[in-house]
Amino acid sequence: MARAMAQSRIESRAEQLHPGTGRWLLVLVGVGVAFLLFTAFLAAVKSGVLFTEENLLYAALIFYGGAAVLYIGFGVTGAERDGRFATAATAIAFLLTTLAAGHRWYTAGHPPFSSIYEMLLSFVWTLAALTLIVEWRYRVRMIGTITLPLATLSVLLMQLMPAAVRPLVPALQSTWLHIHVSLAMLAYAACALSFGLAMMFLIQDRVRTETFLAATSGLLTAIYAGIATRFDPSGGLRVVAWDPANRQEIFFAEKTPLLVVIPSVGWLMFLVLAAALVPLGLYAWAIWNREEKALTWANRSFFVSTLLQAAALGIFVLRAGEGAYTSPQTEGLFATNLAASPFLLTGLVSGLFASLLYLLLLWRRPNLERMLPSAETLDRLTYKTISIAFPLLTLMIAAGAYWANRTWGSYWSWDPKETWALITWMVYAGYLHMRITRGWRGRRAAYFAILGFAIVLFTFFGVTYLLPGLHAYA
Amino acid sequence: MPLRLWFPWIRSTRWLFSVRTGIVLLILVGIASAAGTLVLQRPQTEPEKLSAAYSAETLRWLDRLALTDVFHSWWFAALLLLLSVNLVLTSIERFPVAWSYVRRPYRRPERHFLSSLPLQREIPIPSADAGLHAAENAFRQMGFRPRRVEGKESVSLFAERNRFSRLAAYVVHASLLLIFGGALVDAIWGYRGYLALTENEQASQIELREGARKSLPFTIRCDAAGQENYPDGTPRRWWSRLAVLEGNREVLRKEIAVNDPLVYGGLRFFQSGYGSTGEVAAVELRTTLKSNPTQTKNIVLRLGETLPLDNSHSVTLAAFYPDFYINGTQVGTRSNQPNNPAIQLQVQTASASGPLATSKAWLFPNYSALADPDGSAYTFEFRDLRMGYFTGLQVSYEPGQWAVWAGIILMGIGLAAAFYFVHVRVWAVPVADGRGRLVLWVGASASKNRSEFEDRFARLVTEIERKLSRKAEARMAWFREVSPAKTRTEGMVGAEAGEKVRA
Repeated sequence: MARAMAQSRIESRAEQLHPGTGRWLLVLVGVGVAFLLFTAFLAAVKSGVLFTEENLLYAALIFYGGAAVLYIGFGVTGAERDGRFATAATAIAFLLTTLAAGHRWYTAGHPPFSSIYEMLLSFVWTLAALTLIVEWRYRVRMIGTITLPLATLSVLLMQLMPAAVRPLVPALQSTWLHIHVSLAMLAYAACALSFGLAMMFLIQDRVRTETFLAATSGLLTAIYAGIATRFDPSGGLRVVAWDPANRQEIFFAEKTPLLVVIPSVGWLMFLVLAAALVPLGLYAWAIWNREEKALTWANRSFFVSTLLQAAALGIFVLRAGEGAYTSPQTEGLFATNLAASPFLLTGLVSGLFASLLYLLLLWRRPNLERMLPSAETLDRLTYKTISIAFPLLTLMIAAGAYWANRTWGSYWSWDPKETWALITWMVYAGYLHMRITRGWRGRRAAYFAILGFAIVLFTFFGVTYLLPGLHAYA
Repeated sequence: MPLRLWFPWIRSTRWLFSVRTGIVLLILVGIASAAGTLVLQRPQTEPEKLSAAYSAETLRWLDRLALTDVFHSWWFAALLLLLSVNLVLTSIERFPVAWSYVRRPYRRPERHFLSSLPLQREIPIPSADAGLHAAENAFRQMGFRPRRVEGKESVSLFAERNRFSRLAAYVVHASLLLIFGGALVDAIWGYRGYLALTENEQASQIELREGARKSLPFTIRCDAAGQENYPDGTPRRWWSRLAVLEGNREVLRKEIAVNDPLVYGGLRFFQSGYGSTGEVAAVELRTTLKSNPTQTKNIVLRLGETLPLDNSHSVTLAAFYPDFYINGTQVGTRSNQPNNPAIQLQVQTASASGPLATSKAWLFPNYSALADPDGSAYTFEFRDLRMGYFTGLQVSYEPGQWAVWAGIILMGIGLAAAFYFVHVRVWAVPVADGRGRLVLWVGASASKNRSEFEDRFARLVTEIERKLSRKAEARMAWFREVSPAKTRTEGMVGAEAGEKVRA
């Protein structure tokens, strides 16, 4: 009864929200894309070479960004036109990524799988391809709202990484490497897709908006708590110094990077951390005392924290890009760069994306619900993508083991990346067993799919940077 | 009958049979593995690093709990063993049901089945035969191969596809056990070691990872080794020419490279490194007789080797530093690379009357190619120098690896069968419905992807209905042509047939 009432309330709200034409958004994004392309074109003409991999990728980045904005805008306005243009922008970006990858393959003489830069390239390519396939085959247009920001973020990261084609060290000269990595990218992209679908399922399954608020605030708290570990007692933020001439980090001693302190940004990060904690506290207060009003305030404070995050990101980008800073380890002034802090940047950008997605949900939930496929379809699609991802994961591990056996004489050596790949495999195996033998459907299955993707992310990024082992070069 | 009722003692271990236990074990293995990557592991870390990272007290506890070597600890092995046992038991308990699908396909549905199958439809038909005929055509059109099943009362249709996929999960579980088994064999009987050989050196002992030495049942000799570089100087390829000796007989020769090992007697030798030993392999010099500068000779010297120059003179390569430096009175080498080689020569001159006279001289090819030892009858000119190189070989013996590969292939097949093949069954039975009309009962079941299969089933039903109506139309047309008056009896055919079935 109560549910029916809630339903009718949502429907009446949905009627009030007339789907807009989305014209303004289109014009804005169109102008933005055109402006960026034009300036990039001018710069390219100046440098004399037009079709380099770098330029292609930069153009792809512009289109990915535009598509991401359009997809999110499509969620806000619900205008069919926005969605169509978002798909078109994705297709163009995909084409450009293909050209960039092909160019790299051609010049390097081997498929782009041998460094984290090249792997991100393959990942973005697969993600864009899968997004287009899901849109075209299953008509789930909203999937781009989640996958395109991910693709944009990845290309952004790639802009900062050392991109030079390096010759392959002897151990990497093997067909099995290519098989191993392409399977990994396919599997990870399928996992990313299942994550997006599971999130959408939770929306369609009428998980309360406040729950998403708590989850998003929790994620932000974790991100900013992580960033706060770089706090310097002087109030600054410690980041790794960067040598612009050689495009690499400066090392103080072996395996100890030189740190510099960007003044007063540390306080800013603490402020954002506090701002992320406020909605969490208010949410807990609202649940504890059954106070509806606290939730309203929680949402308002969340909005404020989003603004603060945007400010923090902007200031960090500006300050890290320019200026020389002192170091606590040694005397002298050193420069830094965004590329020296890929983790920090990823944290800041993904936190902001998550917040924007939450705000989209908060303000336009009825619209979203109208545009998304039914909960049942999404549940089924999640299962389907995982049943594609799981065999791919298995084969990826098997190909890796075979390759290791041919190179090092051992098919399994419990190196961190191997171990985490195995953990990922086990999580998805658990999901499939619970679903098939115990009939897990719906929310529990969706939570499992989300957990699985979180572990995939850790395996991909976390292990590479935090737990280096045999896979250290990749 | 489920296995657990057969053995009373199994009742107390009933928890081992549940999938839930399996999942819990899987999670525990996951947590343990994660711990093994987060805590520094003894096999991969130097002891100093460990003691720097943890306090003595913490380290003692970590060691006691075997957290510093998770993957070789007894409790990790126990977890894997429990998981295997659970895998076997849950499979055994569930297998008979799956096997019955394969062994005894349910071809002729009975009354209770007709009423309880979720996916079913009843289509009115004029006669049992016409209905079966239409269904047969429709089944074929959908890619099934229908079979007529003769029953006591009536004939029914049955068709199925991908029956084997019912067993897929068990294939995957069996493959997992095969992999575990292979890994266990390797853990017990297998070993891994390292062997460094310089050119022309041979060995029949390797150094195991744990530091012990192990004798091989044969001897391995390195004939040559080398490195090829990219234009920018980074290594492109390492190779070694190896020979296997049984006693003194050469039985195998192979040039190995990274990714291309030598295999002999179950042992595999992998190229894993290449580098300078810091020792000189040979120095090539040109000697000139001072009294007669036209008399020159090229000689090749190894370290410590003495070579006669004539009846009364001989020369020795006394010392060699590849990257020479001098600091006060201390001399040494900065690296193993011949960046600044220093060669010390010693010339012995024998005279008929007195004792052997020796004189020494340093030769620095980077500065001057000529050495002129005091009192020597010869001068020495530097020509060339070859450094000694060693090739690093990983040696491994893994008798269980074939089980692992077989398991992986089996798992690939099993997973493909499990996810991409659905066991689909369809039945068609002419029966009388609740009101006594003759209908064709059409039912279907799918082992997974049910909701998608529902669409296919709906299409199948429409297809049968279309075939029936087309047939009816054709008959109507024929009736109209032959005798328009007879068309009224069309309805009666069905009624008659209905009577017959009821009787």
